Formats: sequence, C-alpha cells, structure tokens
Amino acid sequence: MQSLRTADEENRILRHWTPLILRSILITAMAFLVVGLTLAATRSPGYYVGRFRLVQSGKTIHAATNWAGLTTGAAHGDPRAVMTLGLVVLTLVPIARVAFTFVLFVKERDAVFVMATAYVLAGLIAGILLGRIG
Amino acid sequence: MGGESGVLTILGGLLGLAISAGFLGALSGLGGGVFIVPGLVIFAQVPMHVAVGASLISVVATSAGASVAFVRDGWTNVRLAIILECATVTGALLGAYLAGIIPGRALEILFALMMLQSAYFAMTQRGDEIVTSSDPLCTRLRLDGEIPQDNAPPVHYGVVNLPIGAVLMVVAGLMSGLLGVGGGALKVTAMDHYMRLPLKVSSATSNFMIGVTAGAGAIVFLARGDIATSVAGPVALGVTAGALIGSRILPYAQIRPLRMLFVAIITLIAIEMGWRAFMGI
Repeated sequence: MQSLRTADEENRILRHWTPLILRSILITAMAFLVVGLTLAATRSPGYYVGRFRLVQSGKTIHAATNWAGLTTGAAHGDPRAVMTLGLVVLTLVPIARVAFTFVLFVKERDAVFVMATAYVLAGLIAGILLGRIG
Repeated sequence: MGGESGVLTILGGLLGLAISAGFLGALSGLGGGVFIVPGLVIFAQVPMHVAVGASLISVVATSAGASVAFVRDGWTNVRLAIILECATVTGALLGAYLAGIIPGRALEILFALMMLQSAYFAMTQRGDEIVTSSDPLCTRLRLDGEIPQDNAPPVHYGVVNLPIGAVLMVVAGLMSGLLGVGGGALKVTAMDHYMRLPLKVSSATSNFMIGVTAGAGAIVFLARGDIATSVAGPVALGVTAGALIGSRILPYAQIRPLRMLFVAIITLIAIEMGWRAFMGI
C-alpha cells in the first residue's frame, strides 16, 4: 500500500511529537516517584525500612497491582501506592510511543508499518498477561 | 536499624548507587543496567530477581530521557527501530518469562558472562564505513536515512542485512528480559557491524529501542508483582539523574582511556558476580 505522506512530513511529525510524548510521561512518572519517596521518608519511615529488609531477606516482594487499590492508596498519600503508580506510569512510556506511531502509520495507510507497530503493541500488552500467568 | 535514620541511610545508599550506575552507564555507553544490577546484588544485598526488575524499570526511564534529544535532532532511525522492535519485544517477553523460572544463581552466572561479552564489545574497534544505498528489502521498507550535519546538507546512508540484524535483536531482547539490561552493546554491534549504519545513528536508534525492549520485560515483572517498589523507586530516580549528569559530561570526556577503565571495572564485577554465584554467597 502506498504511503500518503512524504518522508519529510513523516520525519517532521515523528521528530516533533515523539520527544514530547516521551518527556511528558517521564516527567509525570518522576514526579510520582519523588512524592512517593518523600512520603516514605517522612510519613512512614519504619514501614519503608521493614519492606526493604523483607525484600533483602528474599521473602515476598509482591506490590499492589490492582488499579482500584493503587489509586485509592495514592489518593490517601500511601507512599508505596504513589511510588507504584509512578512505576506504572513509567511503563506507559514505550506503550504510548508505539501507540502514537501505530496511529501515524494507520493514517499514512502504510500497511507494513501498521502491522509492525501493532505487533509490538500487542507484545507489550501480552506482557501483562504473561506476568499474570507467570 | 529502623525509623527515620534507617530510611535515610537506605534511601541515600540506593540513590547514591543508582546515580553512580546511571553516570557510569552514560559515560561508557553501556547503559545503567550493566552497573546497577551487580551494584544492587553486591552492595545493597538484594536478590538477583529484585535487582533485574528494578534495573528494567530504570532502563525504560533512561532510554526515554536520552531519546528526546536524539529523535528531535534526527539521529534516530525511527522506521528501522520499529521493524527491529518486533524482534526485541519477542526476545524480551521470552526472557522476562524465563527470568521468573530460572534460579537466581544461574542468572548471576549468565549476568557475569554477559558483562564479559560487553567488555569485549567495548574493546572492539568499530569502523564507521557506511553504505550509500540500501539492499532491496530495506529499500522497499524505506529504512535509509540521513545523518544531520551542522553547516552542510545531511549525508544519506543506506541499510543492509535486515534479517541478520533481526536475529541478533531477538538475542538482545532475550538478554534484556532475562538480565535486566538494555542490551545496547549487542544492538549497536548488530546495526554498526552487520547493517552498516553510521555509529552515532546505531547508538541513537539502539537507545530508542531499548525503552521498548526493557519496557516489555518491565511490564511482565510489574504484572507478576515482582517489582519491589522500595528498591525500584529510588533506583529509577537515581539512574535517570546519573545518566543525565553523565550525558552532559560525555562531550568533554576522553573516550579511549575511559573505555579501557570501564573494561577493567566490568571485568572485575563479572569475576566478583561469577565467584559469588559459584560459591552460593
């Protein structure tokens, strides 16, 4: 299928929007992590130390991964929930970047690249299922 | 040790370790993962699986941070990255799945071997001979690109040997998911040596792809509940900050002596990790 945009136009769009997407999500994730760490150090230092020792001992490290618990916890200023939310936002960086290129190539009707980005996107989403069953 | 002084000691230690790893990773071009995983295992004394999970998250962050400038300035070949990401994601998912099954000691031995391989790559002199036209497959996919120049028209380059590059990218993805590193050394070698891309384009494109490769692994770890927030949070912040400092200093650094120093450091860490794994420490 023939691409509808010229290579220059495609380059211009990619060079403008990709850094913007990367930077915005990265800054959001880092803000969550800074707030979470500050809360851990000031509000519940004993809890943080306890969790870290547990991790060192090789016992459970399972973090809260259900969305309802995570957002409620974060809204109440739970340091662990805020930090986990920051880490989840960070994993959105590659997903958002690939999703953006997928939309771009759909608009361009570039079949090979639509399939390639769809495969990568599906792979990233499959990671969630793989993690759940693994 | 508990309470406020305890938390400050742990957070300070993890942040210090992560900043150093990010700094060394940016200066050496090997990425923070190569330094943060052994750092966490040896100094913070956390299990290998925890170190791998935290490292994957931090690699996503550093890749995003560094890619901003590379993509904006036109060094990254985004179309090529998308095609090769099909291979790296496949390898990374498989690696992250296997990391949940393979014992920590075996992972430590594999990590030590991977570090020795990285040291070898760092010592190997790479040429910067480019091809001006792509082979038929790469031409059909419009994978060729242009090297930006300061005060001159951009220089056109071609791309060849996509299938060989894709196979090596599966291996790089597997290493990433299994060991928590970006796999940049292998990615750059594949693009530079076999696909004949200019070195800086290879580095920028590899860095761009690392985010998706490590992201695939990080998502598996996160969904499995294998990311320890108390470790991954400060590590992601510290490695990103360290990489930012390192990338600012890089243009003024003497690359050749630095590279030799890193080869020595990496070899020592590989021996230490291999020894610990064999002795069951």
